[in-house]
Amino acid sequence: MSQVNSIVLENVSKQYRRDDFVIPVLAGLDLRIAEGEFLALMGPSGSGKTTLLNLIAGLDYATDGQVIVHGQDLGELSDSEITRWRSENVGFIFQLYNLIPVLTAFENVELPLLLTNLTRKRRRQNVMTALKAVGLEGREDHYPRQLSGGQEQRVAIARAIVTDPYLLVADEPTGDLDRNSAEEILDLLQQLNRDFNKTIVMVTHDPLAAKRAGRELHLDKGKLVKNIELRPEYDADSVSAARSADHQSIQETAS
Amino acid sequence: MIPLKYNVRNLRVRWVNTVLSILATGLVVWSSCILFGFVEGLQYSLNVSGDPLDMIVLRKGSTNETNGGYDESKADSILTLDGIARDPQGRPLASIELLNIPVVERRGGGRANIIVRGIDPVARELRPSFQIIAGRDFEPGKAECIVSKNLSKRFAGAGLGELLVCGDKEQYRVVGIFTAGGSAAESEVWVDRQDLEQRTGREGSVSSVQLRAASAADYDRIKSTIENDNRFKLAPLSEVDYFAAQSRSSLFLKVGGTIIAILLTAGAMFAAANTMYAAVRTRTREIGTMRALGFSRMDVLFCFLGESMLLCLLGGALGLLATLPLQVITYGTSNFDTFSEVTFNFRFGPLVMGVAVGMTLAMGLVGGLFPALRAVRMDVIKALREV
Amino acid sequence: MKFLGYILRNARRSPVRTFLTMASTTVSLFLTMVLLSYFTVNDAVADSIKLLNRIVTMSSQGLAQPVPIARVREIAALEGVKAATPFSWYGGKFNEEVMPFAQFGVDPSTIWEVYDELSVPEEQKKAFVEKRDGAVIGRRLAQDRNLKVGDPLPLKQDLYPVDMNLTVVGIYDGTPDRDLRMCFFNWDFLNEELKSRANGQMADNAGVVIAKVASADLMPTLSKAIDASYANSDTPTRTQTEEAFAKMFSEMFGDLKGMIRWISLAVLVSLLFVAGNAMAMAMRERTTEMAVLKAIGFRRGLVVTLVLAEAVLVAGLGGAIGTLGAKVFFDLVDLGKYTAGMLPFFFVPWSTALIGLGASLFIGFASGLLPAIQSARLSVIDGLRKVV
Repeated sequence: MSQVNSIVLENVSKQYRRDDFVIPVLAGLDLRIAEGEFLALMGPSGSGKTTLLNLIAGLDYATDGQVIVHGQDLGELSDSEITRWRSENVGFIFQLYNLIPVLTAFENVELPLLLTNLTRKRRRQNVMTALKAVGLEGREDHYPRQLSGGQEQRVAIARAIVTDPYLLVADEPTGDLDRNSAEEILDLLQQLNRDFNKTIVMVTHDPLAAKRAGRELHLDKGKLVKNIELRPEYDADSVSAARSADHQSIQETAS
Repeated sequence: MIPLKYNVRNLRVRWVNTVLSILATGLVVWSSCILFGFVEGLQYSLNVSGDPLDMIVLRKGSTNETNGGYDESKADSILTLDGIARDPQGRPLASIELLNIPVVERRGGGRANIIVRGIDPVARELRPSFQIIAGRDFEPGKAECIVSKNLSKRFAGAGLGELLVCGDKEQYRVVGIFTAGGSAAESEVWVDRQDLEQRTGREGSVSSVQLRAASAADYDRIKSTIENDNRFKLAPLSEVDYFAAQSRSSLFLKVGGTIIAILLTAGAMFAAANTMYAAVRTRTREIGTMRALGFSRMDVLFCFLGESMLLCLLGGALGLLATLPLQVITYGTSNFDTFSEVTFNFRFGPLVMGVAVGMTLAMGLVGGLFPALRAVRMDVIKALREV
Repeated sequence: MKFLGYILRNARRSPVRTFLTMASTTVSLFLTMVLLSYFTVNDAVADSIKLLNRIVTMSSQGLAQPVPIARVREIAALEGVKAATPFSWYGGKFNEEVMPFAQFGVDPSTIWEVYDELSVPEEQKKAFVEKRDGAVIGRRLAQDRNLKVGDPLPLKQDLYPVDMNLTVVGIYDGTPDRDLRMCFFNWDFLNEELKSRANGQMADNAGVVIAKVASADLMPTLSKAIDASYANSDTPTRTQTEEAFAKMFSEMFGDLKGMIRWISLAVLVSLLFVAGNAMAMAMRERTTEMAVLKAIGFRRGLVVTLVLAEAVLVAGLGGAIGTLGAKVFFDLVDLGKYTAGMLPFFFVPWSTALIGLGASLFIGFASGLLPAIQSARLSVIDGLRKVV
């Protein structure tokens, strides 16, 4: 399997059915995303960028075409298989953080680990590492409402990386934050991408946020309209080759 | 699995809803438990009375001591039969008894029929847990009576030293209070048999003979003699069967109680479902998030079923606990087989426990199922967009 | 009212919740109706008996004690008494069923004068007098057991030491609040059987004596006179109106009665929590909207009214279905059939149904009160902010 193009979309279409209406959202889309890439999806509302994100993250199935992530054809997975696949391969970052309000920061981050066979001790280690990675040591016993928006999003990021997934998807991660907090979150995402080789796909409205990515992809009416390489040195071949040599996971760094 | 603390904390966060739901289910479980505690108490008082070697001899065709009687001469002949157990003094353990059922005022209003039992001295030995707890035993021929502890509390003139008025001619001075191990005798007044005969003008007639056989073989022999011998032609019933048949009137309560409990459970089920639907609705985005993180539909199902169960269990536990103070109170109602007062204590036994557990499970599971299924069927993407 | 549409739409906005709240109210009120009717029916029947001017003479020592048959004639002869009959509870088994229905030995020539509210065809009355082993049974009993005139009706001994092999000679009818499941037979027949087959055991016992009195104001004096004249006999009596006699049976329930009242109350209180909970949940989900209403100029009073009206509407509707449903249900389903004479009739009196309806409206009002006050107190700014 190609390490280079580790997310491959071929001729992907997505339609929604409402009663008798068929609403096309994506039409015949081809896209390749290299491992370790940081991709920003831009476009006006209704352009299909979130739908595209959901397809890549395994939250939704394509109507037509193939979505292959890390060698796995997502169309072949049943509902329960894809649920399991998500828990192992994808970390989610949402605009509204989506933390569970009744759980502490620690418990929120621990949540995805409850789906693994890790021991309690191991889970604790991983959670603390993830919280440290997002700069929230000492906040583990705070409830979401006791944290600022930026901190909440950091907890959410910690939750996304604690299982050491291959792919991070972020839907408007800075959409609800002030400028400073947004910058910090973007720094963090860049750092995760650079230091831990996480592949990141981020939907955003914010041109400044998009500029932090390695590549900007513009959608309109379900089609790719513009592809801007922001950092040529991120060119797939060289980056991947270099990264795979000293590939390390977050957890390995920790231990 | 989604951790239970998630449910516990959610119940705590929306504590007003939780408290209201717990109170509602608690009250429902409480009232059903009271009903069945009644049934259980009534059954206990009727069932505890039977000893397998004990026999009660009634007129043929009669099913009840209170339904007429037979000639004293027959009863006297029964006492001469072989195979009747004897006490240390050598007297046969067989007691001729005569019942009268007068209407007496309850303390605090209302009237009821009570059983006044005219007994021979040996009758006390046939009730093994018979015990005078206040005053003394009655003396024959002096129009004295002893009253069970339960009745003495409940009927006008039945207190120690008071005059129990059963009719214009039938009046007794209460000289003692007794208990009888929770058996049927605890709903009776005991007087001397001759006293009762004279005061009710029923000389020469008896209601029943109660006796204890020396052994199982003797029991069978005595039984067949009484049944078939021309001298008798009476109906010997085992005491166990006799009281089992009497608990028929608790069957009425049991059927009624079951219907009430089912209706109550249904009502509470709707209430539980309402609470859980609200829980699912307000936590739509959380459910979407969990599903995105990789929790399966099963995880979500168990999570919300669990929460519903937890809610109902708390209510059920509260309802059960609230019945505890009732156990010290004595109740009375009429046994519709004898048309006479039967007193009993609320009993917290397996029946009550079963009712509480059954209701709680039904409420929690059925009430939680549909809301939980709604959570399960939720579209992840839509749920994540929910504000 | 111009806001009715808005209230209705609000109630329908969350159909599941409204349905569940209503269903809960319906079930609870249905149950309350059953429990309360159990006693109000007794009272209602006792009240209707009042008009029939009957007195019952029993032994002052309880029902188990006999009243000599001679008393019937003596009482009938008193001034102001129209007719009197012995009324002796036989309590026999039918097809091995213990206490299948009520059976009474009566005087066939006077019973229809005493029970003049029951109707029997003249020729059947005549047959009842003439046929020694004749029995007249209620219309409902005839229906339940599929009995018709001419059918044998064998009753086995239980209380009395003789069997009664009866033949149905008539069927009586009456209004629905009368016990139409009794069986009357000739008291003389029972007495003769006792004398010829049981050595006269328990013979000459009238059971109780029921007498029809000319007017209501005669009843107290007659009752006293009867009891006074037998006070010093071997068998002193106790005479009371039929109403008081019937109440004595209802009093026998003892603590069961109080307990059922408590349970009814517990059901209603529990319902208050349920409805209050539902309303509180509805309001919480509508916080923003309440704020919007206030922002566009709705006054507090109006907001309170809107919330209360919705709560009363939902609970009232559920209550109406529960109470009226119970009324209709028990009008259609004859519960008496399944209770072996314990409960000859069961229906939900209008008075009880109205109490239930009132209770459900009150529950609606009380359950809406706190949420209503809360939404009235809500600051517009806070309410609007909650959306974000």
